[in-house]
Amino acid sequence: MSATPSLSVRSLKVHYKLRSGFFNFKATATLKAVDDVSFDLYPGEVLGLVGESGCGKSSLGRALLRLQEPTSGNIQLGGLDFLSLHGEALRNVRPQIQMIFQDPYASLDPRMTIEATLREPLEAHGLWSGIDSQKNLEQLLDRVGIGKKALAKYPHEFSGGQRQRIAIARALVLRPKVIIADEPVSSLDVSVQAQILNLLKEIQKELHLSIVFISHNLAVVKYIADRIAVMYLGKIVELAPKDHLYSQPQHPYTQALISAVPIPDPRIEKFRKRIELRGEIPSPINPPKGCSFHARCPIAQESCKQHAPELKNYRNSAQQVSCFEVK
Amino acid sequence: MAILEIKNLKAHFHTRRGVVKAVNGISYSIEPGQTLGIVGESGSGKSVSQLSYLKLLPSPPLKIPEGEVLFRGENILAMTEEKLRTIRGNKISMIFQEPMTSLNPYLTIGSQLIEPLIIHLKKSKRDAWKEACAALSRVGIAEPEKAMKSYPHEFSGGMRQRVMIAMALTTRPEILIADEPTTALDVTVQAQILDLLREIQKETQMAIILITHDLGVIAGLADKMVVMYAGRIFEEGPVETLFHQSEHPYTRALLRSTPRVDVLQDKIPVIGGSIPDLSQVGQGCPFYERCEFRTDICQITFPTSRKIAHNHETFCHVEKFQ
Repeated sequence: MSATPSLSVRSLKVHYKLRSGFFNFKATATLKAVDDVSFDLYPGEVLGLVGESGCGKSSLGRALLRLQEPTSGNIQLGGLDFLSLHGEALRNVRPQIQMIFQDPYASLDPRMTIEATLREPLEAHGLWSGIDSQKNLEQLLDRVGIGKKALAKYPHEFSGGQRQRIAIARALVLRPKVIIADEPVSSLDVSVQAQILNLLKEIQKELHLSIVFISHNLAVVKYIADRIAVMYLGKIVELAPKDHLYSQPQHPYTQALISAVPIPDPRIEKFRKRIELRGEIPSPINPPKGCSFHARCPIAQESCKQHAPELKNYRNSAQQVSCFEVK
Repeated sequence: MAILEIKNLKAHFHTRRGVVKAVNGISYSIEPGQTLGIVGESGSGKSVSQLSYLKLLPSPPLKIPEGEVLFRGENILAMTEEKLRTIRGNKISMIFQEPMTSLNPYLTIGSQLIEPLIIHLKKSKRDAWKEACAALSRVGIAEPEKAMKSYPHEFSGGMRQRVMIAMALTTRPEILIADEPTTALDVTVQAQILDLLREIQKETQMAIILITHDLGVIAGLADKMVVMYAGRIFEEGPVETLFHQSEHPYTRALLRSTPRVDVLQDKIPVIGGSIPDLSQVGQGCPFYERCEFRTDICQITFPTSRKIAHNHETFCHVEKFQ
């Protein structure tokens, strides 16, 4: 891919200072939620961000929107140095990057009609132009499969799937180039989940959107993403096009993660060999020295306990792996 | 012989908005050593079908207007509360989705673990303590003595679920009801917990009723499965058969619309519409609105059971729908 990335992230860190005690204002420990993450997101591309709870995928998503200010690093958004922007300049750029949240019950204001919800971002950015904008809203609601009759209604009148359609419309209303979707289908039932995934996929193609799709569900990400980044304890441990990631995962964590996902077919599932991982994800407050995965890794060597590997291209392919043992 | 037999069970909630028929006449049975998977989306009645007959739901609003639930041939619904107490949490144990809310945060793991042993099995405190420690080490908790003195918040989600399993198993139940036991857990931890359940079942020959929305979990663990939708059973049969030769449009559609990690899918076929409001469901098939094979009769009456094989039943008016 030679095009300029829509979003370019370099050495991004999100560290939270932890304080103990009530009147103790000195930080006692640091929680490294996102620790030195770099990747590019190209126009029209869906990048899946997967990992287990506590791996930092949501913190990363929030940092990309500056809902949480990154501790250090660099984000280029459409050629602009996003992190250096403030005040008016930042406001002017914000429409380019929008968000869809997991829980459509919490992310829509219960006291605002759907029309007010969709108008608010336009008005806030001085883009509301009366009758034309109104027409656009109606078209948008039709496009997400809700219909313009919804404009006068309130969120409680809709089911979870319909609410998520409205949340998608709200994310699109400012015509963004990049969307960060944080677990957008995780609270939905299977039959509804597929509808929303297909809708997102269609709209993404029509509008040539770039999406960072954050999810814990590897099957969902496989369906929607073009490339996938696997996170573990604040770091990307593997980043690859989806056909490579699932057919030839290189990082031992990716391998274990994929082998742990149940397959809805008893003929396969009952006889599958799993790569078992010991224990659970260690705390990001005091991550182990060296490679953060070494304590659970089936192929860890002595050196893994001392030094942390970097994300490197695997055999000149588009696949990037962060492991000393993968050569 | 079946250890548990449910016959035409109905569980209705009487609310101000009307009667919500959460469970609307379901029947199935389970044998010792067997794992029965109950699959369904939210509101299908899969949890209520179990909680209702164990009297774990407030009544009112819950009413059970009809049905029989036979545990070793004896009707649970006709039992006195006193009699039921000797079975619930003893012969029939449960584990739930969210181990943090099912454990009492104020009490140590130990005091919660020995309770069923003292109450149900009349053990002395000392014996109970010993047995509880053994149970903890059985479920893979490294230092059981230390764990007994800890509080739930000191454990991770996976560890808490192990504690719940240990607690459910101390009384050596004949049936374990596992209601979404791994839904709140990460996949690598889920795999550990499912393995643990499998091993324990092999040792004890207990029956497991596994309630889940995850078809992958059912595929790996269950022998027999029941597909529920809006309070009704749509299909019942061996797991293998239902996954590969289903005779119900909903089962098929559900399987097709599930994203898979082992297949590259270009487009997932969807089921249009959404799950119906249970207070509005009439006499017809609740899947009518969303079904691509519907006929006029489907709107009027819910179909009776149609046997495909001795162990495979479907509830669908349409006989050839593919």
